[in-house]
Amino acid sequence: MERILKNYIGGEWVESAASDTIAVTNPATCEVLAHSPDSSAEDVNSAVLAAQEGFEEWRSTPVMSRAQYMHHFKVLLEDRFEDLAKIIVEENGKAIDEARGEVRRGIESVDFAIGVPFMMRSDGLEDVSSGIDETTLRQPAGVFAAITPFNFPMMVPLWFLPTAIVCGNTFILKPSPQTPISSELIFELLEELDLPPGVVNLIQGGIPSSQAVMEHPGVTGVSFVGSSPVARIVYETCTRHGKRVQAQGGAKNYIAVMPDADMNASVKNIMGAAFGCAGQRCLAAAVAVGVGDAYDMMKDELVKYAQNVQVGYGLDEKTQMGTVISDSAKERIESMIQQGEAQGAKVLLDGRNLTVEGYENGAFVGPTILGDVEAEMVVATDEIFGPVLSLMKADTFEEAVELINKSKYGNAASIFTSNGKQAREFKYKVKAGNIGVNIGVAAPSASFPFGGQKESFYGDLHGQGSDSIEFYTERKIVIERWT
Amino acid sequence: MTSLNTFGAVLSYAIQLEADLASYYQKAGNAERAKEADKRKSKLERVRRENVLEITLEPIEGLSEADYALDFEDTSSAGQQKIEGVAAQFYADAAPKINVLQAQRALERYGKEHTALSDA
Repeated sequence: MERILKNYIGGEWVESAASDTIAVTNPATCEVLAHSPDSSAEDVNSAVLAAQEGFEEWRSTPVMSRAQYMHHFKVLLEDRFEDLAKIIVEENGKAIDEARGEVRRGIESVDFAIGVPFMMRSDGLEDVSSGIDETTLRQPAGVFAAITPFNFPMMVPLWFLPTAIVCGNTFILKPSPQTPISSELIFELLEELDLPPGVVNLIQGGIPSSQAVMEHPGVTGVSFVGSSPVARIVYETCTRHGKRVQAQGGAKNYIAVMPDADMNASVKNIMGAAFGCAGQRCLAAAVAVGVGDAYDMMKDELVKYAQNVQVGYGLDEKTQMGTVISDSAKERIESMIQQGEAQGAKVLLDGRNLTVEGYENGAFVGPTILGDVEAEMVVATDEIFGPVLSLMKADTFEEAVELINKSKYGNAASIFTSNGKQAREFKYKVKAGNIGVNIGVAAPSASFPFGGQKESFYGDLHGQGSDSIEFYTERKIVIERWT
Repeated sequence: MTSLNTFGAVLSYAIQLEADLASYYQKAGNAERAKEADKRKSKLERVRRENVLEITLEPIEGLSEADYALDFEDTSSAGQQKIEGVAAQFYADAAPKINVLQAQRALERYGKEHTALSDA
């Protein structure tokens, strides 16, 4: 009997009111791991009521005590590190090292949250007028929720939950129904902390529960990470319902490779950026623009390295690239490669129709490199979210910057060069939220805000870092006179 | 035998090596060395846990398990020296291939410890 996951509401594991379920499948072995309930608006309402009930007690819990819970949480995460990584591999398909890296990144966000007592402090000014003092107070704002994606099922929830609750808010997590087991384990560990009931709540499900979270009047703010079309819907729905919202969308991240770059080091780095996590990350390198002679130099080297990438089951330590998330994702990715080819791109390395011995039905797509890609081709404009790297040519640095800035997305962009002036120009001119210089994956650490520009982000305050403190708190100005 | 082509594969191999050495020295009746190997194993587990970040995961080339064959049956003094020499060689080869400084330092340190034991 396959198990049906439960929701966690008000400090209890409870069955969903919904009868529909969504199968959670290991994308390599095709084994059904569990079923996620497709939770309803009724479930969400229960979670919001529990979070509202928990809020008053929790906000008056001293901030140092709230932070102490995160010290204990970190210890539990470290103790279960390998279990957490293994679950990520099983339900997401990525390689075990990538899963370990994800858990590490998640723990960094817990480390950050431990510093909330320092970051929540505010300022004040004496004698703004005769005998009048003015002070800023930063207070928790209420019930927050996060709707999180399949590609980082452990890390992304931890971008939000720890900081939100140490700021004194209560929280509802609604993870992807494709990867809900990581969140279940996170909540099993949170349960060991003996937090007051209602401080953290977990709702498993898909669209109905997401919709209910966005529309519920008891939810103060929503964080979202996913594709751009959905990010826009989340932003519009949440703002229509009077909520603060940070909605992180998709990407088409460009990398400019200059002829003066250290080609060997650059190619190795671009390999990880393009094919790490099977290209399923919002910071994945999708297009490499070779400037001048760099195009031919990087093309041959990239193909040489990429064809030796060991694709396999993520739990095998030797695997360098695992599966994509599902059969339908594999079909979509392969179809986009086909479209690119039909539009004139040259398939330099073809990852379609790849089978892995022992996992013949797994959702594997091998590293794919497309050459001679032009700006109007679908493989240059649209997010593929798979292990596909498009190569484009530019005659000059300026032309490369123009190509990058034409993209409707603006999550990240990188340059590989040994020329400091060009690196500066790149930082200055490129319209993207995260810039890499000789770094293929420009991933901010937990103490820096993370978010894109243009259609890669809807909202104003980004996730993580100082922005997260702003997002999760209300500021109140107190003006006092005592005579 | 397969190549040690990822950060995790190298660190996991080192962790298993130290676990095997701990058992080996127990069998050989050398509790002190068994304890040292066990301590290195725990430290390597922490190194793997704390230093694996997706931005640093670049492919590793030129390391193969086949080059570090160990004979755990020979518990003689000469056998122990030989095993320590192979372990030292593994760490010496692996350290420069790891692009994470803290992990590289740990591997270098354990390489030196095994070299000292092989010379003892």
